Amino acid sequence: MPVNFPDVQGKRDTVKEQVTEDMLKEVIDLYISETDSISLLDIPSTFVSVDADDAEPIMERNNQYAEACRSRMDNDKYVDQSVQTLNGATKNKQVQSDSIVMVDKATTVTSWDVYDSLISPDTGNNASGWVLSPVMSLLACIILLCFSSASAASSLKEVEALGNSLNAESDLQLIMLSEKFQHCLLVMERSILGNIFQPQLAAYRQLPVIEDPESPVKPGMGEQREEDAESPRSPAVVRLWAFSCELSRGSSVSSMAWNKKNPDLLAVGYGEFGSSNQKPGLVCCWSLKNPTWPERVIRCDSAVTSLDFSSNNPSQLAVGMQDGSIAIYNVKSRDNKACFISSSGCPNRHLDPVWQLRWTQQELSLTGEEKVESLFSVAADGRISKWFVSNNGLDCIDLMKLKKSHNTKKKAGGTTTGKKTESVLSALTPGLCFDFHPTDASVYLVGTWEGLIHKCSCSNSQQFLETFKKHFCPVNHVTWSPLSPDVFLSCSADWTIQLWKQDHHKPVLGFTSTQRTVCDIKWSPKWATVFGAVNEGQLEIWDLNSSILDPVIVQPAAAGVKMNSLLFAPQTDCVLVGDSDGQVTVYQSIDSPNLLFSNLTNFF
Amino acid sequence: MAEVEETLKRIQSQNGVQGIIIVNTEGIPIKTTLDNASTVQYAGLIHQLVMKARSTVRDIDPQNDLTFLRVRSKKNEIMIAPDKDYFLIVIQNPSD
Repeated sequence: MPVNFPDVQGKRDTVKEQVTEDMLKEVIDLYISETDSISLLDIPSTFVSVDADDAEPIMERNNQYAEACRSRMDNDKYVDQSVQTLNGATKNKQVQSDSIVMVDKATTVTSWDVYDSLISPDTGNNASGWVLSPVMSLLACIILLCFSSASAASSLKEVEALGNSLNAESDLQLIMLSEKFQHCLLVMERSILGNIFQPQLAAYRQLPVIEDPESPVKPGMGEQREEDAESPRSPAVVRLWAFSCELSRGSSVSSMAWNKKNPDLLAVGYGEFGSSNQKPGLVCCWSLKNPTWPERVIRCDSAVTSLDFSSNNPSQLAVGMQDGSIAIYNVKSRDNKACFISSSGCPNRHLDPVWQLRWTQQELSLTGEEKVESLFSVAADGRISKWFVSNNGLDCIDLMKLKKSHNTKKKAGGTTTGKKTESVLSALTPGLCFDFHPTDASVYLVGTWEGLIHKCSCSNSQQFLETFKKHFCPVNHVTWSPLSPDVFLSCSADWTIQLWKQDHHKPVLGFTSTQRTVCDIKWSPKWATVFGAVNEGQLEIWDLNSSILDPVIVQPAAAGVKMNSLLFAPQTDCVLVGDSDGQVTVYQSIDSPNLLFSNLTNFF
Repeated sequence: MAEVEETLKRIQSQNGVQGIIIVNTEGIPIKTTLDNASTVQYAGLIHQLVMKARSTVRDIDPQNDLTFLRVRSKKNEIMIAPDKDYFLIVIQNPSD
């Protein structure tokens, strides 16, 4: 259909085609569609100014159009037509939705919350945990309801409470069996004991003792303090505490040793020596942090006579027993029998009590670098042996046999009963103690039953290098001085202590204080002239600097108790004394100026 | 198990220990040597305190965690060993 827009003129610049008669009859399809900017019926009106150039032809055409409209009625060219847009009837429709519940939720986020959710992605654990417990309690409720008819009337709350308690019991079981709880208990026990023993432990570690500001001030103390401050402080030992427990009560302490790596760990061997029947012995490892109960308890087949910690493997403890067997325990694990090596299978083993054990590092002669540690023992069968581990057991080689010496002293006119009796008895004499030289580990001293001290070398197993004769009773202990070279002490059942120098055949000094056998003697690790000695009735501390006739400090034993063994505590000025009642008492010597004597009297 | 019981007995018999309480994660005391009223009171109050203390420690460094808490007061000392599954609370009067 031809489309004619007679009024649309102004804006279009296109050239108008010459409309021929043929073109008018041609059918031209035109599609009308809306575009973004033009809508379907878009007749923009145009305004032309009256003063414009092409105003006149426009006005003429307007006039023509007006005339055409006037003559419309009769004209067939123009037909009147009306169009109606249909407006649909409106209809009201109502819709109702569920009310949207608004809940306010807030949370405080802490930085560890964020960290936890980032690190552990399985937070589902928590959720499942929460799901389980109501389910469990529900099950418990059901079970209870089934079984108890009488209590069917009980309210739901009660049943729930019972369900909770069942939960709680199983919780308790689980908790108590867990390792973390045991560790927790350990720490807790130590804290409690730390509170109780705080002044003593502080004194041991040479820290100033904290006085409790709130503790009630006892009226008598003030005067006593003044008195003490005035009197000159004579050196004495103060008893700090005692390691003792029910397990060890009644047995006598035979030996003590510090752990080489952990200076707070003490191993104590117990055994009953009075009776002839072999009662089982005990080894307890005590920690300074718990003076009331040992950390490890090891029960041995027979009475323990000696023990020593290894330095290469600090958790290995070698124990020598009265029946001659030697066992190596590992104290790291809590199981008693774990990592336990014994010499009971060895054909060469000692058959008599092992009186002393020592782990010593010896240089390998070839390389000269490695320090191999070996276990040495001296026993009552007169042999000194070196042990090593083989085939799940211990095996030994003999280093030295202690032959009985001929009694050459009594040549001049005395009866020589020694020679005759020798052939009847065994040719070996029991060795009671030995000690390796602190710097040259191949040289050692042995003390024997006869009262002789032999100096031997590891490389010579036939002959003694030297023999020191002075004692006429069994030598109980022999020990090199750690600080002063070539000096050693020996103590014996003949009530004397002798001080020797390596190259002199006669002792340099001799000490006697009481008429009792001297059981144990040790040099102080800090002061070169101080040593401690224990005879059955008292503890003596000798200081050669001040007096060579009398001990400087004497501490008598408690009534009815005999003191057996002695150990100095390294790095502190404390002394440990083991007695025949199974107690290891810690004494502190207080001639050190930092310690205030008055503080300690408040607590004892 | 017997060892744990023994240790608990030893702790209970130490000088000055007034009571031991074991509380589970929900705050319910599951083992106690004190009377009911005190136990419930201690359990409730200490639970909150431990939560706060733990939150404090972890806020400063999230990789850290609370291992032991001691509250010393005039009359006694409360020692708390907290863990994921339980608290162990011991009340001691050290000057006894």
